[in-house]
Amino acid sequence: MSRIDIHNLTKTWGTVTGVDQVSFTVPEKSLTVLLGPSGCGKSTILRLIAGLETVSSGTIRIGDKEITHEDPARRGVSMVFQSYALFPHLSVRENILFGLKVRRVSKARQQERLAEAARMVGLQDLLDRRPSQLSGGQRQRAALARSIVSRRQVCLMDEPLSNLDAKLRAEMRGEIHRLQKEVGLTMIYVTHDQVEAMTMADQVILLNSGRVEQAGPPHALYDRPDTSFAARFLGSPPMNLLMLSSRQAAAALDDFPSDAEMETMHLHQGMVGVRPEHVRIGDTGLPAQIVAADYLGSETIVRIRLDDQILFARTGNKVSSDPEARVHVSWPKAAVCLFDKTGRRLSGDFL
Amino acid sequence: MQLPRKNHVHAWLLLMPAAILLIAFTHYPTVTTVVKSLFSKGTAIRPSQFTGLDNYRMMIEDPVFWKVLGNNLWFALGTIPTSIALAIVMALFVNRALPGRSLVRMAYFTPTILPMIAVANIWLFFYTPDIGLIDQILTAVGISGRNWLGDPATVLPAIMVMTIWKEAGFFMIFYLAAMQNIPPELKEAARLEGAGRWTYFFRVMFPLLMPTTLFVFINAVLNSFKLVDHLFVLTKGGPDNASNLLLYYIFETAFSYFETHYAAALTVVLLVLLAAMALGQFFILDKRVHYR
Amino acid sequence: MLQKMQLMMMGLLLSVCLTAGTAAAKQTELTMYYPVAVGGPLTQVIDGMVDQFMAENPGITVNAIYAGNYNDARIKALAALKSGQPAQLSVLFSIDIYELIEQDAIVAFDDVVQTAEEKAWLNSFYPTLMENGKTAGKTWGIPFQRSTIVMYYNKDLFRKAGLDPEQPPADWDEMVAMGKKITTADRWGVMIPSTGYPYWMFGALAMQNGQVLMNGDGNTTYFDHPAVIEALQFWKDLGAKHGVMPSGTIEWGTLRQNFLEGKTAMMWHSTGNLTAVKDNADFDFGVAMLPASKRRGTPTGGGNFYIFKQTTPDERRAAMQLIKFMTSPENSARWSIKTGYMGVSPAAYDTAALKDYVAGFPYAAVARDQLSHATAELSTYQTGRIRKTLDDAIQATLTGAKTPEASLKEAQGVADRLLKPYR
Ligand SMILES: Nc1ncnc2c1ncn2[C@@H]1O[C@H](COP(=O)(O)OP(=O)(O)OP(=O)(O)O)[C@@H](O)[C@H]1O
Ligand SMILES: [Mg+2]
Repeated sequence: MSRIDIHNLTKTWGTVTGVDQVSFTVPEKSLTVLLGPSGCGKSTILRLIAGLETVSSGTIRIGDKEITHEDPARRGVSMVFQSYALFPHLSVRENILFGLKVRRVSKARQQERLAEAARMVGLQDLLDRRPSQLSGGQRQRAALARSIVSRRQVCLMDEPLSNLDAKLRAEMRGEIHRLQKEVGLTMIYVTHDQVEAMTMADQVILLNSGRVEQAGPPHALYDRPDTSFAARFLGSPPMNLLMLSSRQAAAALDDFPSDAEMETMHLHQGMVGVRPEHVRIGDTGLPAQIVAADYLGSETIVRIRLDDQILFARTGNKVSSDPEARVHVSWPKAAVCLFDKTGRRLSGDFL
Repeated sequence: MQLPRKNHVHAWLLLMPAAILLIAFTHYPTVTTVVKSLFSKGTAIRPSQFTGLDNYRMMIEDPVFWKVLGNNLWFALGTIPTSIALAIVMALFVNRALPGRSLVRMAYFTPTILPMIAVANIWLFFYTPDIGLIDQILTAVGISGRNWLGDPATVLPAIMVMTIWKEAGFFMIFYLAAMQNIPPELKEAARLEGAGRWTYFFRVMFPLLMPTTLFVFINAVLNSFKLVDHLFVLTKGGPDNASNLLLYYIFETAFSYFETHYAAALTVVLLVLLAAMALGQFFILDKRVHYR
Repeated sequence: MLQKMQLMMMGLLLSVCLTAGTAAAKQTELTMYYPVAVGGPLTQVIDGMVDQFMAENPGITVNAIYAGNYNDARIKALAALKSGQPAQLSVLFSIDIYELIEQDAIVAFDDVVQTAEEKAWLNSFYPTLMENGKTAGKTWGIPFQRSTIVMYYNKDLFRKAGLDPEQPPADWDEMVAMGKKITTADRWGVMIPSTGYPYWMFGALAMQNGQVLMNGDGNTTYFDHPAVIEALQFWKDLGAKHGVMPSGTIEWGTLRQNFLEGKTAMMWHSTGNLTAVKDNADFDFGVAMLPASKRRGTPTGGGNFYIFKQTTPDERRAAMQLIKFMTSPENSARWSIKTGYMGVSPAAYDTAALKDYVAGFPYAAVARDQLSHATAELSTYQTGRIRKTLDDAIQATLTGAKTPEASLKEAQGVADRLLKPYR
């Protein structure tokens, strides 16, 4: 019974609004990632759920219980802080047992749970060390163990990996994901790293200025972004958003459009969105010019000028970076998203 | 690593000012004090002569010496824990977001920036029988006042209260700085784990404040032997030495009695005491302190 | 950094040139430390007098340095001498004489005076005031800011208690009887201060009971004389038995405030407070001689001029000139009016200024009239420690820790041990 329901959650400080009418649901034993640019309210939402900030309006429910104004200790949530928040004067063991001791869990129980948590995170041999004697990843695991040992079903994580290097981050990402599944935690995970979001999440909630921009499974956000904001936020490089005349838009398609499709393009005054991996460089399509090509090993990111717009293409082939090279670009019809003037995606996709 | 000769000269030249100051104003006087303590009082008429440990023998037989030493012990015991506790409480209070916080902080800190002599003059009028603030308040609530500074039973406690008032604000600043260095997430993490205010304070905050406490404690101990300015104004050590402290007695001996050699012997004892305490604190307490 | 050094060097050069310049003009420069032991803007008065002196004597420059209370002044003056800084003369506690002699710091005036006129000048002061300045047949100190203890009383409170405000107590019994009439829940009959200078007040009580505290050579004390013990018993009884005075010690520094706020009807205090009381009392007050037991009595007190030994003949002459100026009848009268300290010579009281003042404010003459009943202030060899020993004995008695007999016998034992080498 650890489903999380957030309804119209709002947090204001005087005239500042940090979280604005946010609603979403996290199903039991699933992992939801809160994603968004810096200052969009991710931490605030997490802290509201944990009870570290008071709610301005709206409700929070965990399971069947409304906990909007409940004492943080009695919400049944544990939290892993971005800075880990380990107690520097206590050993790893004492850090992990801190909550159990405070809650007067019996000694035998404490030892049992400690052993279990330490095994899960692989810290058995480091229990007597102080946090300052641990590496970043080990600290991270200690913080994780402290959260596991509480046996609380809901676990909140605020950018837990942001302090780690890329390799360790990839490792820890896997471990957290494994643990979440193994223990069956209901987890909300804050990050602005899209790779974390894409690989771990059952559900991604994309936030923008305190509002939900789009919520859904990672692939849905990637393939079918609801807004131009989402389109630009996800992917690296992000989706190309181009202002094209309907003639150009039609000419860029691999497969020639039907008349009806031409009609839509006439109505459309917004932007055409195409992911870089769908941009094909060849002899047909729109005439363009290569500006630069970054060779990344497994792939090459090609920067292309199309009249006065820039678009990116991602390709497995090596491309000559001759700046004067004249080429043509095209893309399949199914890969195109159309956005209206306000940045909303036109329903029914391309056609 | 071998430094070129030129660098050696450079290094010594750079060290020189500090070394000269230290030697001229610390080491040299200390040594002369020790030497002086082995000689008898000299005047133009009767020159001073080497008397060995006579001054120290005299000290053992000097009831006033034992009295002031005992007083100093009580003074230290009475002021140090209380002022530290008070400093923590005040720092906790002003560390929170409360309206007019900087004003309250200022108020707590004010006693510290006043010179001790000024403070003593203020308190002299607090303590004055009948017309003093304390007696006036007591009379207002129907308790008859007392002669705070004129009664051997109350004079030392009265001076302790003043000292605590003066010192606590100073120590508060250190605690406040230390508290603001504790990441707020620690408190939040503890709160989520179900720790109440007290648990958080005793299990997390206080241990993290230990380095500050050690620092403050050493300072407080040294101060309890060093601070005697107020005695000049308040009691001159009286009545009958009931509020006399070691350093004030040294001052009296040297400058009222002109027994500079006996005063030198007393100074040596004070130095030894202070050194022993400082070392003891570092070696014993340091082990229990967690430094980040 | 370099600039700073250059500036400093320039400053140094400049000051060297300046001193050289003044030396060339045959200027005599005097440095004088002086203490202030009672309240009031006394430093301004001294500065005014010094300025006038310099105007009249263009060849002499005087740096008058205020140096705190008597204790501080002595420390500063002696420290300055020891460190080689010049100080040619100072006003210091009259009772520091033995200490200063023992330190070989001062010269006797007999060795400085030259003319017959100057020798006569030595004898122009009140003999009682000279007692503390003379020992071993020579004169070492010239009286300047001198006082005795007088009794200030609040006439309004006397009236309120049904007493005749013009009849202050003449002896101890009267003082106790009147004190009892006056004492109520929030007011005391009398207060005698017992911090700061307890031995001084006690000198008065002992003398009134027929016994002074020490001999003229400064090498014998009489602390355990029965009359002295009885005097201390009486002091203690004022609080403990008669209940006309608070028990425990009474603070010297705040006593005047107590008196001004009507918390005590009578106080024993230095004449040096006279002007301050006169200016601040918002009630009708009187000043009387201290009451008698077997006789009247008070010690004198205050500061004398001393000339230091490390001086050139020129400087000694200049110092003499300054001292003569400061203690001249006119200046002594002016000083007395401004402060309440006594005129130091009969001639001072014969000046028009002081005569007029006394006519308008007769209490200004009480101290002078009391001089015929006065004796020297406690002053011996090893004076600091002996004074403190007596102070402790007094305070131990007043706070009830010891009996008068026990504490004074003990004090006498200490004094005997300390003074034996000087006999
Ligand atoms: N105590 C506060 N008072 C006023 N405004 C606040 C407060 N705390 C946060 N905010 C504001 O609320 C907004 C959301 O902050 P929040 O910390 O939730 O951002 P975030 O999404 O976690 O950003 P980041 O990725 O940088 O951690 C920000 O604009 C921030 O300035
Ligand atoms: Mg954040």
